[in-house]
Amino acid sequence: MNGDFLALLPKVSFPQTGASFPAASSHEPLQHLQATTVFAFHCTEGVIIAGDHRATAGNIVFSDKTEKILELDSHSLMAIAGSPATAFEMARTLQTSFEFYRRSQLQNMSLPAKIRALAQLLRNNLAATIQGFGVVAPIFAGVETNDPTATPQIYFYDPLGAQFEATNFAGSGSGSGSIKSILSYLERWGHPKPEEMSIAQAVTLANRLLMTAAEFDTATGGVHPDQRLYATIKLVSRAGIRSLSTDEQEHFWKETP
Amino acid sequence: MTEEPYRWLEAIGNRREYIREQMKGGTPVFALSRPEGILLVGVGQGSSKVFEIYDRHGLAALGHPVDIEKLRQVAIESAHVEGFNRSSKDVTLRRLISFALSTMLKNSFEQIFSPPFIVECIFAELGEGGAQDVLVRVHFDGHHHYETSGVLVAHVDLKREAEAADWLRKQLQPDQSLTHAAGLCLVAWQALVDEKPFAELTVPGELPKSIAGKTVEAALLDRKMPGPVHYRTLELK
Repeated sequence: MNGDFLALLPKVSFPQTGASFPAASSHEPLQHLQATTVFAFHCTEGVIIAGDHRATAGNIVFSDKTEKILELDSHSLMAIAGSPATAFEMARTLQTSFEFYRRSQLQNMSLPAKIRALAQLLRNNLAATIQGFGVVAPIFAGVETNDPTATPQIYFYDPLGAQFEATNFAGSGSGSGSIKSILSYLERWGHPKPEEMSIAQAVTLANRLLMTAAEFDTATGGVHPDQRLYATIKLVSRAGIRSLSTDEQEHFWKETP
Repeated sequence: MTEEPYRWLEAIGNRREYIREQMKGGTPVFALSRPEGILLVGVGQGSSKVFEIYDRHGLAALGHPVDIEKLRQVAIESAHVEGFNRSSKDVTLRRLISFALSTMLKNSFEQIFSPPFIVECIFAELGEGGAQDVLVRVHFDGHHHYETSGVLVAHVDLKREAEAADWLRKQLQPDQSLTHAAGLCLVAWQALVDEKPFAELTVPGELPKSIAGKTVEAALLDRKMPGPVHYRTLELK
């Protein structure tokens, strides 16, 4: 009994996670669903991780109410860009896997193990990734709960499962180019820099970044402060995960210059 | 030997005696349905007796630590596979105990060439309100019953177990704090261990929060805890 939920599934005749697809055919390309845009950056209180609400299929807006920031356990979460079907399944697998480990082993899984677990699922999704559908390029944020002095960390992945630690910020999805450019600028010349921002400033910045990205990317959308529609924003800190409500975001939006 | 039915019955009888003999050193565990959630209390020495099983499920057990561990792992595996396969709301004690645990315990008890589970336990499932809470007393042979009074005790001696539960039902009021309720459990625990009659047992002016030389374990399946996980350990202060 090693607390490995993925090893348990085949024992109970449950299909292995990870897709296995036949070779691509010459048919019309499938207009598969995509979810964009997500990003994370450090602020004074921890890591802000945010995403818009839009999911698209080709040039169709499939939904403007998609939740892309998914809590995996009390101290880690994943932001998804790419195919929601695969990403939601990965998140569900990780949620169960982390809790299964914690309950069965009576200790928390270490942060490096959580980071590797997501990499493993991405690697298992290789067949779908190579064929260009079911691709997921997530961001992971979490805190090492076994170390009382640890601070939150951000990791981003390529669709094949390679993981990279982001020292300042990470972004993924079609709108992330604009966002990463702005964050890079602010890291160099901002007053304050994102990592020096209070929670109010950081939340307002996150909403402004998504609104800016939406100007240049039709697949990014759903943030309209005038209609009380704000981004999905969560704060990861040693205390755990805090979801920023619409009321809080509106308050910060109005108060922050 | 087992080809002769009466010998099999004798072997089963011996097995029951053997398990009860092995359980003699065990001390009781408690589950109380309270307005705040379900309180689980156990007193141990070295090994744990109170555990989290799933989002809304807990276990309190006495017996051989290895058997408690085996039962716990089976319960956790079954609950997580069910929750993953369907949803966390589909994980119910009724299904978990009927289809996974009691069958396994009964088989283990009746297969006389393999070791039985030396364990007595309580499983708890948190509901929306106290009326929806589920407490189940599960015995080493797979026999189990659902308790509707909101108070459940598991002990080696079933007669004394029932007396302790009756005493607790009389003492408990909905407006009492969790610390008070846990303190009453500790009074009942001491009475069971010391074999004091419950008819003469009075509530002390100051309820105990600890037992000398032992570790008191208390946990709450918290009704108001945000998020999917409702289990948290309690420190008695």
